Amino acid sequence: MALHQPQTSFDLLRVPGLGRLLRWRWGRLVMQLVMLALALLVIYDGLTGPQLASQNIAAVSVWVHYRGLVMLALLLAGNLFCMGCPFTLPRTLARRISGRGRRWPQALRNKWLAVGALVGFLWLYEAFDLWASPWLTAWLVIGYFAASFVLEALFAESPFCKYVCPLGTFNFVASTISPLQIAARRADVCRTCVGKECVNGSPQTLGCGTELFVPQIKSNLDCTFCLDCARACPHDNVALAARKPLSEFIPLPVRPFASGAAATRLAASAWPQRWDVAFLALVFAFAGLANAFGMTPPVYTLAATLSRALGTRSEALILALIFGLLMVLLPAALGLGAAWLSRRLGAAQDRRANRGSLRVVFARYAPTVAPLAFAIWFAHYWFHFASGALTIVPVTQNFLIDHGVTLLGSQPNWSLGPIMSEDAVFLLVLAALATGFLSSLYALSRTAAAEGTLKAARRAMLPWLALWMILALAAILIFSLPMEMRGMIG
Amino acid sequence: MPVFMRPISTKPDLLHASRPVFLVLFALLLALLPTGCQRASQQTTADQAPEITAVLTVAPDPALVGPATLLVQLTDANGAPVESATGISLKGDMSHAGMQPVLAEASGGAGGVYQAQWAWTMAGDWFVTVTATLPDGRTLLRRFDLAVSRP
Repeated sequence: MALHQPQTSFDLLRVPGLGRLLRWRWGRLVMQLVMLALALLVIYDGLTGPQLASQNIAAVSVWVHYRGLVMLALLLAGNLFCMGCPFTLPRTLARRISGRGRRWPQALRNKWLAVGALVGFLWLYEAFDLWASPWLTAWLVIGYFAASFVLEALFAESPFCKYVCPLGTFNFVASTISPLQIAARRADVCRTCVGKECVNGSPQTLGCGTELFVPQIKSNLDCTFCLDCARACPHDNVALAARKPLSEFIPLPVRPFASGAAATRLAASAWPQRWDVAFLALVFAFAGLANAFGMTPPVYTLAATLSRALGTRSEALILALIFGLLMVLLPAALGLGAAWLSRRLGAAQDRRANRGSLRVVFARYAPTVAPLAFAIWFAHYWFHFASGALTIVPVTQNFLIDHGVTLLGSQPNWSLGPIMSEDAVFLLVLAALATGFLSSLYALSRTAAAEGTLKAARRAMLPWLALWMILALAAILIFSLPMEMRGMIG
Repeated sequence: MPVFMRPISTKPDLLHASRPVFLVLFALLLALLPTGCQRASQQTTADQAPEITAVLTVAPDPALVGPATLLVQLTDANGAPVESATGISLKGDMSHAGMQPVLAEASGGAGGVYQAQWAWTMAGDWFVTVTATLPDGRTLLRRFDLAVSRP
């Protein structure tokens, strides 16, 4: 077992005041209660308020502010939403009242279900026009509470977060580019630790819900930033540490755990070498494109063509076909093709090169798309956020006036909307995509550096470079198209 | 088993056997949540003149992204034009939350027709909300759904 101790000079948990608040026993609960209050407000206004999305707190806060702010948090800090996730509150209640259930089935201990849930969620979003329905948005939130509760009641661990939750899955992958990460302050303390409370928990404190062992964490994948590990550690040895940009995508030197010797070897990647995890990264990228594509004129033309060809007006079916193609089949085919080609090209150049199986090559290179994928999602969500962040003001005024409160005025100021001009938003989108592409390129080149020779590295990364370039160009093209907001089949 | 796995509790758990009961109770709780019940006090969206007919006409028709003219025609229950309505405001919202609405004031009134200059800013589904104060002081409020296409 290898222990990992990243080089770091900044630890958020050491910041006076804030660090203590975060490590405080009830620190997470306070954040969750705030988020719970917001979730209840979303449910209340979604079910009982005006059903015009632009006038309802449920639709505006969930589809504009949540998405915009969560991307900002991921970019500047980390997985802060999961840290304060309100859906785990009833989950904890379920755990208390149901006792220990069974373990999550072995066959589902992977990301395939999470990939399906993420694609399914995005399909639901379009097929049922969730963005236009406060009522459905409220029920989505209720569904989240219910799913989290039921799974926690049935199973002993926290499978909802790790294996099911689409929001968590999204945040896990996106947080791989985040600057903060849970880490052991001193690996030798963990080596001699008997209780391993960070993962096992203690009578007073829960251990890691997703069963991560702090000194082995090299990636933000599966980390909810709940800080239960920091609260549980009796040695105060857990840091929420700053790390170098893109450090997850750079092969890391690690020391063998058993010997503690100074000898080092190269780890292939911070990500596990698994089909499911690597495929998740690709789906995350392609889904970002498909989601943005769903708001442009060509998708309506495509939907109309499919509708005529198949003789159906079922928007759900048409969308299932389009999303199945764009979010599942295309990343699978192109990813496998790139891996196969990368393996062939690298091996042709240098037969001694460190090639590995198709799975190893796929799992080694596919995750390097994550920075570009993040940029695509950031560009999309910030288009909406920058275009309508201030609409929350009149929506809140409207809500208060509805309840006889005129504290913020007796008339909603509907003229409020954007926080950036259209030109500035477009520049932001382009800057995000360019940064994302260059970051993926850097991650790709550092990953390829583990190949045997420079020539082999260049040849091995070529198919992936082509694929990332196509993705980046497709993203620029999509974001250059005029946006439309309407039902799919007119 | 890895050393860091959770220890399995061996203490008797009386609540464990009641798990199905809790699940049923939770499902019932969900079913009892208010579904579709609208708030009674939506002061900002109340229509006080249901007998008044309002017709919205757009030019160009069908609506295209760009400048447009919107005409609102008001007639009473007898079909007579309502000519002296005041404060006729139009608000155009897109179906997606967070899009800045288009706002305009309509003027005129001859023959019960009020006119406003307008601009459709994006193709897609729009909701135009017309608010007016009638001569008797009541508030008229109507919503019109329409699709806007690219030129």
